[in-house]
Amino acid sequence: MPRLLSGALRLRRDPRILKLPPYLSVLCILVGVVWLFLLPLDEYSRRTYISENALLPGQVHTYFGGSDQNVFRAYKHEVNALVDKSNIEVNDKLESIVKGLGLKVGRQNFTYHSAGNVYSGENAYAILKAPRGDATEAIVLVAAWKNVKGELNRNGVALLLTLARYFKRWSLWSKDIVFLVTPDSIAGPQAWVDAYHDAHDSARVDSLPLKSGALQGAIAIDYTQESRFESVHVVYDGVNGQLPNLDLINSVVNIAGGQMGMGVAIQEMWRHNNQYPDRLRTMLRGMLKQGLGLASGPHSSFIPYHVDAVTIQPFGEGWQDEMAMGRVVEGTFRSLNNLLEHLHQSFFFYLLMQRERFVSIGTYLPSAMLVAANFTIMAIALWVKSGHQPSEEVSKAVESKTAEENPRNPAVERDLFLPLGFVTGCQFLSVVPLYLFNHAPETILTPLFTVFAVLNMALPHVLSHFLTRYYTPTAQQYQLIRSFSLLLLGMFLSSLATLNFSLALLVGLLTSPLTFMQPWPQSPVMRTACAVLLNAVAPTAVLVASAAYWQLEIGAILREAAFAWDVYDMYSPVVVWCVWWPAWLAGSVTVLGKPAGRRSRLKAKAT
Amino acid sequence: MRQFFSFLLFSLLSICVHPRAASASSDYHEQLVLRPLPLSALLASFNFRSNTTLSAFEAHNFRFFPRSLGQILQHAGTRELHLRFSLGRWDAESWGARPWDGAREGGTGVELWAWLDAETDEEADHKWLTLTNALSGLFCASLNFIDSTRTTRPVMSFQPEGDHPNSTETNTHLLYGVLPHEVVCTENLTPFLKLLPCKGKAGIATLLDGHKLFDASWQSMAIDIRPVCPADGECVLEIEQTIDMVLDIERSKRPRGNPIPRPPPGHELKCDTSKPYHADDTCFPADYSANQEWSLSQIFGRTIKGTCPLTDPNTPPVCLQVPESRSVFISNGSLEKKNADGASRCYEIEPEAEFEMILPAPSDAAQTENKAQAELQDLVKPETPLLYAERSFTGHGQERGGVQTILRNPSPDREVEFIYMESLPWFMRIYLHTIEARIEGQSGKQRDSLIQEVYYRPAVDRARGTQLEVRMRVPPASTVFLTYDFEKSILRYTEYPPDANRGFDVAAAVITILNSTDSVSSSSGRSVAYALRTTSLLCSLPTPDFSMPYNVIIFTSTAIALAFGGMFNILVRRFVAADEGPEVSLGGLKGRLMDKLGKLLALFKSKGGGIKKTE
Repeated sequence: MPRLLSGALRLRRDPRILKLPPYLSVLCILVGVVWLFLLPLDEYSRRTYISENALLPGQVHTYFGGSDQNVFRAYKHEVNALVDKSNIEVNDKLESIVKGLGLKVGRQNFTYHSAGNVYSGENAYAILKAPRGDATEAIVLVAAWKNVKGELNRNGVALLLTLARYFKRWSLWSKDIVFLVTPDSIAGPQAWVDAYHDAHDSARVDSLPLKSGALQGAIAIDYTQESRFESVHVVYDGVNGQLPNLDLINSVVNIAGGQMGMGVAIQEMWRHNNQYPDRLRTMLRGMLKQGLGLASGPHSSFIPYHVDAVTIQPFGEGWQDEMAMGRVVEGTFRSLNNLLEHLHQSFFFYLLMQRERFVSIGTYLPSAMLVAANFTIMAIALWVKSGHQPSEEVSKAVESKTAEENPRNPAVERDLFLPLGFVTGCQFLSVVPLYLFNHAPETILTPLFTVFAVLNMALPHVLSHFLTRYYTPTAQQYQLIRSFSLLLLGMFLSSLATLNFSLALLVGLLTSPLTFMQPWPQSPVMRTACAVLLNAVAPTAVLVASAAYWQLEIGAILREAAFAWDVYDMYSPVVVWCVWWPAWLAGSVTVLGKPAGRRSRLKAKAT
Repeated sequence: MRQFFSFLLFSLLSICVHPRAASASSDYHEQLVLRPLPLSALLASFNFRSNTTLSAFEAHNFRFFPRSLGQILQHAGTRELHLRFSLGRWDAESWGARPWDGAREGGTGVELWAWLDAETDEEADHKWLTLTNALSGLFCASLNFIDSTRTTRPVMSFQPEGDHPNSTETNTHLLYGVLPHEVVCTENLTPFLKLLPCKGKAGIATLLDGHKLFDASWQSMAIDIRPVCPADGECVLEIEQTIDMVLDIERSKRPRGNPIPRPPPGHELKCDTSKPYHADDTCFPADYSANQEWSLSQIFGRTIKGTCPLTDPNTPPVCLQVPESRSVFISNGSLEKKNADGASRCYEIEPEAEFEMILPAPSDAAQTENKAQAELQDLVKPETPLLYAERSFTGHGQERGGVQTILRNPSPDREVEFIYMESLPWFMRIYLHTIEARIEGQSGKQRDSLIQEVYYRPAVDRARGTQLEVRMRVPPASTVFLTYDFEKSILRYTEYPPDANRGFDVAAAVITILNSTDSVSSSSGRSVAYALRTTSLLCSLPTPDFSMPYNVIIFTSTAIALAFGGMFNILVRRFVAADEGPEVSLGGLKGRLMDKLGKLLALFKSKGGGIKKTE
């Protein structure tokens, strides 16, 4: 034991230990990335299983069909007749149909303002009271009038009406069933869920006239396809990368895939051969969606309120008809109806790579944590380093003496004010783009972005010039700037990794060059190369590149982001502008920095 | 021989019983009132009432009064008792006012309140414990879980229904307990029926079948025991058993052998043929049929088997509340008596015959344009209740929440004054300062003008629940929002029930509407005009993830216990072979002596061994 201690103490003094961190950081990043790519292998992912035994998916006979098809056709005619009508007229008609079924109907207005646009509409919903229930729990069936792509959800709404009529006949419901028709797929459900939990801003969203108990689950139908379908697509991404309980997805997969014998796809992987490339692609798509944190359907708004929800979309050409889709919903509702408790199994953090394969948080989290840790390691190394005199300055003085007698790098005092002030300033400056892009009207978003991107390229140069001109920072101060900036970044990312793994990993990888940035006063080539590299991974540049890759307009992306910010509180812009951008700015300024020698600085002070 | 004896016994018994039964015929009444409600529902109110004189009761002389219950009441010193088993929701919007003005119903689950004779609070608590435990056994309900945290002593909400002599008032304690999570089911119905003199074998009680009763949209079983002192005559102890249920006619008519609502064949669907797209395979359903035909045997699965021979012959056993214009078919031998009000009629049943009743659909319902109006014409118009109440949680998250009760007074000119009572579990800590009442559409707080009196008894952790009684008023034709906030406590992890993530049921709020002020002097003595309960709520508390940390705790504890046990054993104990060790079987002095001797010998031996070794 004492030998071990003395060994450790000796190691601490070893100068080589200070050379280690950059290599350690590289290792962390490499391991993190490799880890990610190992996940789709059989050894690291697991088969899905139903953890909540009460669900019993696919264990009941479903009876929806037969003459309900005649009713469905009639409702389809009714829906078709409403195609070009206004939201209010549609809801009037739906209300009269649903009231005819003997259900209570409520309506709710909402108006959202975002990027100079107004998003308003009226939700209509009906509550089927559980025949013997006591209004303590409820499950929701949603059909948006228009889906996320803006297509008319004709079959979905007609199916919702038919199912409402069908469910009314059963006496086995233990929970109330809420049938919700919203004019659009994002704002409408959001307004409804907010109001249901009394978390709404009453200036924009009306309160609900009718309410039931605690929501236990929600299923959204997105059924725009007119022809018969082959498989169903389960959309599960929630707002801010939150996911519904995996048990719900497993139940739908089990019922649709197992009981109904139709295919099930996730993440728009229409064909999936369950091999490594397809699994990896599915996982990466899921991570990208999770990282962006956008709402992907009417179900997304439910998830932040701990209401597990998925959207079911039919796709492909096959022989399954509307009744089969209805039976999938029926089966899922019967499963949810069995629930004695809220879905609570630790099944909220996962990456799906095929409909029946997943990795759990314990397996994938180290990947993002390692990437985040590389910043922290470097930050601590820089802090330690900044407390010693640079070796080249002292090397001559101590050349004759041995390392054991006198430490090679004597301790020096740290000048904290400038680095702290600079990093804090960068953090505060980040509020400017955050505010601008979330509050500018849509028409000026694209020009605003262009101007900002250009300014963003010039900003490090201006700041660096300003810094060297007025403060003449030393190498130590540059080290401290890097240290603080990386420390913050590492801290933010590691805490973010527990909330939104994908976003943390994405930002972590894009900011990983920052770990290795340092001033290059002697080498203009290196300096230029680093500056170019940094400009390539700047938030603005990444945005432009991804817009070009997916052939989207910058304006549209920014409008979406502003809408998401205003309507459903997406926090990705905060991460981009208040975590990523300040770190990038500090890194860029460091690269362009021209550290003054410590002695010259002291001289300047003396004079 | 045996037959002869039994015959003798029977004839003797009948000689003994018969004249008395005849003389006491007014001691037992039973009546079933059927009232079709809008939205194809049917309210069936069963009422059974019997009484015994107080002196006979005290002499343990029970006749129609159930002995099992009577003994419990005597043992627990109960003056008056009210027990409720309820399930489902009363839909006041469409069904109107509640039966019995809400006096015979409780909130979801089980509710019990009683006036007990006791000198002190402690004695009352003790008797209450006895009472709940005894009733729990009698009714197969978890009434024994009504402990101190679920018991309150309401101050304003409940008034005794019976006549209590004034002398005992000071010694009478009112205790109120509620179990919102209790699921009412057939095991509660059977003991209920056993209390009846005819035990569900004859009379209207034959209709009470668990399958139908618990498939009802709303049902409430009530037992009320109270002393009644008529102006002339002896005080009697009256027991009234009531079952109210609202049946969905369509659901009830489904045959018992085929309860699954399969889609009917296409040609049996009733379609709206006026639609332009109507075709063989396209059908806009018109089969949501109000006022469809029904009969007793369809709805209840059986007919009434005669009358209970003990019942008072002057009370008609079955009454039906439909407008006079509608025709009703009844089985032969029964008599129809139309009441003067034109909205109800009653039936005399032959004692031994089966009674069947068929209410055919009104003939002109299909032709009328406005379906809803036609439906109302053929029904007795439901009375508007005095107040609509709806309670829900506000806010989300695991730390704080709020409760909002929406109280709507439908009357255009009458103010409603009532007492709103909440008995909340201790882990919902309410902030009394946040209690607020405001009229919808009016800005500002009208707390002072609406809330007249607040009685609040704060909770004590793990010992007592919160009790909140608010006397307030709702002006005519207005809606009042009563809101308050609360904080959720964190429970100890052993205090969570097995289904921890389900949430915790919060009992229904009791709203007691008082008669208008002009008739009665003091607020405490004012009679109750109407009572209603809100729905119960499900409150989710911060719940640990039992599935993971729990496993970790168990796993680490096991590992540590194993490792520690093993280590400790190795460190502390000396291991010897079985034949070397002391013999365990020896007992007493001899054993101990032998033991010591053995030790001494062992000592010598080991010394010898040691010496040998050194040599």
